[in-house]
Amino acid sequence: MPDFLDFMERAVTGPIVSEHDFYMKTLIPSIRRLLDDFDIKYDPTSPLPWDDNLADRLFEAAIELLAATGVYCDGTNRIISMDREEIKEALEGLPEGRTFGEGSERRLFVSRKPGDSRPPWCHVGTGIVASSEDIATAEVEGYGRIPEANSISIPALNRVRGMPVIGGSPLEIHATINSVQAGRRALWRCGRPGLPILNLISSATTAVATIAGTHPTFGLRPSDGWLIDVIAEMKVNFETLNRLAFVLITGGNVGSAALPILGGYGGGPAGTALLMAAYYLVGILLFRAVYHLTGPIHFNHGCSTTRGCLWVFSVVGRATSRNTRFPAIGLGYSAAGPCTRMYFYETAAVNLCCVTSGYGGVQTVHPARAVIEDGVTPLEALFNVETAYAATGMEPERANELVDRLLEKYEKDIENAPPGKRYQECYDMGTKAPLEEYVRLYGETKEELAKMGIPFGR
Amino acid sequence: MEKQEIMENLARGVVDGDPEACRQNAREALREGIDPLDAVEQGLSGGMGVVGDRFERGEVYLPELLMAADAFNAAMEILRPEMEAQNKELAKIGTVLLGTVKGDVHNIGKNIVATVLETRGFSVVDMGVDIPSLGFIEEAKKVKADVIALSSLMTTSMPAQREVIETLKEMNLRDRYLVIVGGGPVSKEWADQIGADGYGKSAVEAVQIIKGLLATRG
Repeated sequence: MPDFLDFMERAVTGPIVSEHDFYMKTLIPSIRRLLDDFDIKYDPTSPLPWDDNLADRLFEAAIELLAATGVYCDGTNRIISMDREEIKEALEGLPEGRTFGEGSERRLFVSRKPGDSRPPWCHVGTGIVASSEDIATAEVEGYGRIPEANSISIPALNRVRGMPVIGGSPLEIHATINSVQAGRRALWRCGRPGLPILNLISSATTAVATIAGTHPTFGLRPSDGWLIDVIAEMKVNFETLNRLAFVLITGGNVGSAALPILGGYGGGPAGTALLMAAYYLVGILLFRAVYHLTGPIHFNHGCSTTRGCLWVFSVVGRATSRNTRFPAIGLGYSAAGPCTRMYFYETAAVNLCCVTSGYGGVQTVHPARAVIEDGVTPLEALFNVETAYAATGMEPERANELVDRLLEKYEKDIENAPPGKRYQECYDMGTKAPLEEYVRLYGETKEELAKMGIPFGR
Repeated sequence: MEKQEIMENLARGVVDGDPEACRQNAREALREGIDPLDAVEQGLSGGMGVVGDRFERGEVYLPELLMAADAFNAAMEILRPEMEAQNKELAKIGTVLLGTVKGDVHNIGKNIVATVLETRGFSVVDMGVDIPSLGFIEEAKKVKADVIALSSLMTTSMPAQREVIETLKEMNLRDRYLVIVGGGPVSKEWADQIGADGYGKSAVEAVQIIKGLLATRG
């Protein structure tokens, strides 16, 4: 199997092509052809499909897609090619999972199968921006208090001494280091110092900041995970490859991240699902990742809780969990924000789809499209864990019915979803506990969903 | 062939995203003595409008938009020299200069906005990604832009949107251009805070806002 430097060689010697031609003459036609060849069609009547044959066809089509297109390197305008044999060899060579964390928090993160009776890996928290280290610390402490949390995400910081962080500047290096320190400090405070951080490093968008923030003095460990993403559909640049080179050479756990846009270059749900499945293969082969983070985002609504996005989550989860041992985390973005009933509905829908379709893990659904500063609270993280456990082992037919009923409740409101509240508005800043109004809303909604048939607290 | 039929064929070629059909239909239009400006405004633009409407209704996606734009441009390769020879120009709705700001290389959202604007008849100058603030301003002067549209997909590149606006102010050019902002982490609140003229949550909304701002400005 080619190693990272073999791919770098292809990045500087592969076929040269303009970005326009890569998309118009290679990627878009390949997706259209493969959707026809493998008969992959979106069915809006079933947001959570459980057709194994469709799932397997999708996976085969994803292999064909990557073999047909390769990955576009923006730094050289060349294609990094990969062939079927390399892809299949990489799939066969996948380990059974990867261990993360330290001490009593050390755990093996493995892939699951559709209908798996084991609960998913619960990746708790979000990479949403926090306004200050104090807020970031309070949020992470809250995540750490959730016993089922297997790993956490730390918030990004967008200010240093009051100055807005500018990507690629010294301020980004400061913000990166501060965010990691705040996260680790919070985990000490809540008595779970060994809990792994799997979104390293949320404040770092450039390779230089990733490298700066990785210094062990700031509390990072080889048992954490470094998340590295593609920059656009099937495209990487030298920043991506620089970060990869550094983490691979220093022995860190690479997590490949890809959040394809539904309505973008992949087209509708079927094409987006094909792209999303192909990204697993990019992660395994090019990124040499040991875990994957993924989910579709709707081009118009900016969230991943539309009917089409839920279909994509479900069919890709089933396709990849049936055909690989690559542990992947499903990540959803809700339209509504914290302290709203709609957020809970959307979260339940995402987790029913992801857990029953076989994702190895689920991450806390990011509220309100992740655009509101401090727009995240630990109570969402708790609700995510509870719905993930409730969905474990559920029959897909039943889960599909429930998702349909949840969509009836929120689908019409996606366009004008309530933004919700900031951490400071629904948590007591002294005790770091949710305010009464929020607790009441959470309790009432859980009761409503339990009556609908979601078996909380099993 | 009747003029009406040629116009319909031009529009259909764009809707089908078929560059070869568009070239053939453009040649046919010129052979039949049709004014090249009419061929664009009554034929090709009609097709772009159909695709734009379908996109706004969620019936088609970015690939169909891009294919329509490619087909449109293929026909323009045939029609443009004739228009220039006859000293004819397309009616200008407005020129939008857009790009992703400094420190950010994401481009899908920006590309969707650019293509939807083209379907609506705007003249679009896409500067690409990772564009320095002064780069936007120099280019805006060069192309006589009406609107500068700034995309940002990362919280750490959002300050660069503010920087463009502040630099325009320092150069006494703020009133000359409408500035709109957009991108994943960008919000209406941020747009207001930095003094942008508008914020588009989606590509469709961005285009509506640009139209509205230009109409207000007159």
